[in-house]
Amino acid sequence: MQTKRNAGYEAWLVQIFLIATTIVVLYPIIMMAMSGFKTNAEIFGNPFALPKSLNFDNYLVIWNTTDVPRFLLNSTIVTLASVAILLVTGTMAAYAISRYRFRGSIMVSLFFLAGLMLPLRLAIIPLFIQLKFMGLIDNLLGLIFIYIAMSLPSTVFILTGFLRALPSELEDSARVDGASEFRIMVEIMVPLITPAMVIAGIYNAVPIWNDFFFPLIFIQTPEMKTLAQGLTSFFGEYSVNFGVLYAGLTLAALPVVIVFIVQSKRFIAGMTAGAIK
Amino acid sequence: MANVVLRSVNKQFGEVKVIKDVNLTVEDNEFVVFVGPSGCGKSTLLRLIAGLEDLTSGEVHIEEERVDHLAPSKRGVAMVFQSYALYPHFTVRQNMGYALRVAKESKETIAKKVNDAASVLQLTEYLERKPKALSGGQRQRVAIGRAIVRDPKVFLFDAPLSNLDAKLRVQMRIELTKLHRSLNATMIYVTHDQVEAMTMADKIVVLRDGKVEQIGAPLDLYNAPDNLFVAGFIGSPSMNFFDGTVINTSNTDVEIDVKDSVKIKFPLNEPSNLSTGDKVSFGVRPEHFTIGNTNQGTFTGEVYAVERLGGETYLYLYVGDQKEVVAHMSGDQKIAIGDMVEIGFSLKQSYLFGPHGDAVR
Amino acid sequence: MSMTNADYEKAKRNRTLKLKLWLLFLILPPAAILIVFVFVPMGSAVWYSVFDWDGLVRKEFIGLANFQDILFNPLKNKVLFNAFMNNVKVFVSLMLVQNGIALVIALLLARNPKGYRFYQVVFFLPVILSTVIIGFQWKLFLNPVFGLVNKFLHNIGLHDWALPWLGLPETALNSMLLVNSWHWFGFPTLVFLAAIHRIPKDFIEAARLDGASEWRIAREIIWPLMAPAITIITVLTFIGSFNWFEIPYIMNGLEGSPAGSTDMLGLMFYRTAFGSVSAGGSNFGSGSALAVLMFIFIFVFSIIATKYLTSREVEMN
Ligand SMILES: Nc1ncnc2c1ncn2[C@@H]1O[C@H](COP(=O)(O)OP(=O)(O)OP(=O)(O)O)[C@@H](O)[C@H]1O
Ligand SMILES: [Mg+2]
Repeated sequence: MQTKRNAGYEAWLVQIFLIATTIVVLYPIIMMAMSGFKTNAEIFGNPFALPKSLNFDNYLVIWNTTDVPRFLLNSTIVTLASVAILLVTGTMAAYAISRYRFRGSIMVSLFFLAGLMLPLRLAIIPLFIQLKFMGLIDNLLGLIFIYIAMSLPSTVFILTGFLRALPSELEDSARVDGASEFRIMVEIMVPLITPAMVIAGIYNAVPIWNDFFFPLIFIQTPEMKTLAQGLTSFFGEYSVNFGVLYAGLTLAALPVVIVFIVQSKRFIAGMTAGAIK
Repeated sequence: MANVVLRSVNKQFGEVKVIKDVNLTVEDNEFVVFVGPSGCGKSTLLRLIAGLEDLTSGEVHIEEERVDHLAPSKRGVAMVFQSYALYPHFTVRQNMGYALRVAKESKETIAKKVNDAASVLQLTEYLERKPKALSGGQRQRVAIGRAIVRDPKVFLFDAPLSNLDAKLRVQMRIELTKLHRSLNATMIYVTHDQVEAMTMADKIVVLRDGKVEQIGAPLDLYNAPDNLFVAGFIGSPSMNFFDGTVINTSNTDVEIDVKDSVKIKFPLNEPSNLSTGDKVSFGVRPEHFTIGNTNQGTFTGEVYAVERLGGETYLYLYVGDQKEVVAHMSGDQKIAIGDMVEIGFSLKQSYLFGPHGDAVR
Repeated sequence: MSMTNADYEKAKRNRTLKLKLWLLFLILPPAAILIVFVFVPMGSAVWYSVFDWDGLVRKEFIGLANFQDILFNPLKNKVLFNAFMNNVKVFVSLMLVQNGIALVIALLLARNPKGYRFYQVVFFLPVILSTVIIGFQWKLFLNPVFGLVNKFLHNIGLHDWALPWLGLPETALNSMLLVNSWHWFGFPTLVFLAAIHRIPKDFIEAARLDGASEWRIAREIIWPLMAPAITIITVLTFIGSFNWFEIPYIMNGLEGSPAGSTDMLGLMFYRTAFGSVSAGGSNFGSGSALAVLMFIFIFVFSIIATKYLTSREVEMN
């Protein structure tokens, strides 16, 4: 809105306020990371000091004696598989809706958008019974399917917007060039919406990675737990060893934070995609 | 013989009839131009020939073979789009070779054909660039190159030059004409540009509201328009039309009273079915007026605007009761706004249209 | 051999058929996933709520008895009412605190201060973290004895302020709300910021030229033009508030302790459906009924709010 840099005391007030907010945001995160390098004695005696040394003991405990690495692996599998299948199926639906005129096309798009309005959590009981029946309880595949279904509406919504914006002359041109509908989609049109696919992917990958609710109910055996859910049992086990707990939290936060810092622009665009027109 | 024949072609989008019973023959090697007002169905007709739209009814034949059931790529046509429709993520080389790659030609064949076309179009040094890194004219050439590479029986162009600036447009127009000659191919070309239509076409098809109004060589349309619409559409600035009433008819001429102005005796080459009292339109092209009285017909008007371009002059006059008339003179005319001027015309270079707009000759 | 007219028609029909099959191929897999894992369960939730259940086994049809039980059984409706009021409190507080802070920060960032990009990234950082991590992290920080918050208060001499934050009915929910605001404020901030950026500069400059004060510009131009963003954030906050589950569950457990002060509809639903100390064994019938009630409430309110808020929006075109 205002592009000129503000000068004078007003600008200073703004900066002071923003810096204060930055401290409020960053300090707890830094404390968490720092405490992960401390022993219990340090945490209780000298909570605000820097760790005495870069001590990886807590991480070694986690790596060697807990299931956290396994949880990490499970979360990675679930997130990657869900997002990959999600993007493929979401693109298929969005492509059909946005690039073809056919009878019932409005019904089909309403069908996919209706999913946006349905809070799947409230259907947890039937889902539980259904997954049990399908043998998908205690099975990462069950989670994967739920996440795909849960994320399809927003993915279709985001991708439809971008696909609609592509000029139809491109498609026509490829058609005259002899490309099949499949080739047109895969070789010509879809490569042009990769930025949108990244956005849709991030928009859904973050909540999937962070989700805690569905695994809480559908996963019981420790080997199948995801990271967010696994942290709860980890907390029960190590409830008195604060250093290990902090290290565990830091470790759990690390993958997303790293990707976020590298790709912050896309992340912000992705995560606010649903709310910004 | 790569001719194109349309038989009773109709196209509807839902309830809307967009193409109405079009019959047309494009001869082998002919350069045919579709013109008409925006929305009259030029692009649709082209897309029907290409197979990008399905006919509602009728037949399309290319090279003596019925093709309307075939996919676009099976019809032996290539199309150049107004927006060029280059694949943005492909290089120029990949763009030009795509159709061949889809057709599973060998790598060597593709490379050779692309290189040949590129050298014809002076694109060789840009082959590895992406379309984004090209100028408008170069993109246009790539789009044409993409068509040439496929060696089609028929080229279809949908207003391909309309996104270029005036100078490039002239240049590309000439290049396209050369290309047409060297390729010996049948070309169908849609344009909004009168000059393109007049200069490039062997044959012009004038469309209005999905119907063919007239088909003919450019100068035939100019000299002998079949109806009021074609008369007004072909020629720039448009023909001046004057309302008139028939006051007398005979086998050799019609006498008409031009509203608020003169009486004219219009000679007939063929018998007319006009009768006394019919409302008619009398037309004179701006370039057919001369300054001063002619014996055959003269309007007197007050000049309200003058455009003096040095080599030519446009006069804008009110004739009779505020009737606006344009006259085009060669050379510089010493005429000022507010002058009363006499502009004359010859009956040989004037037109008469009956109550339904049909030409009276 | 030449083709007859019928052959041409057949060829055309084949092309159309092929296109239809291609469309089916595109639509069916995603549609199937959505039907099986969203629409069928959502529908079943309604269906299940009118049956009596014994564990995983569906017994006889009992009409609206499950609803009646939740709404009018004096033992349960007290819990329901308490949880509901807590959710209302969550919504109102988050609107004021979380979104209020966000609005202020968005307005400041809109002035394009030095470090604009940096602040954006920093404020968004907590948003990407898992609620579980944040819940546990703050649970550790708020630990009455070993937590950093109380250590900090002791260090600066405010010994009386060092309370068992999560253990007192008066402070537990407020603490959680602050944690939630810390977690999420970056999201509305960036949504508001994007909305401010979309306001055409000419509007504001024209107003400045007309001599309008900054306050008037904010109130009469920026604010109404931000209305769509505010609508979206309000509705999202509403949905989030009435589905609030993770933070209270992680920080204070399933029972909404202390003394039900952090009990939420989401927790109650979980307890009812899957059983707990206080609610006894799992009851899918009552659970489904509660889910249906929550769904209807959230859905209806979202629609009404969207309608009402949208009607106040100004068209920008
Ligand atoms: N896919 C479509 N669905 C519905 N109506 C269409 C479709 N394509 C074109 N039309 C309509 O058909 C008519 C003819 O369109 P067409 O594009 O052929 O016009 P045109 O002569 O090429 O116009 P222009 O000179 O502006 O390019 C227009 O009224 C247009 O609105
Ligand atoms: Mg057109």
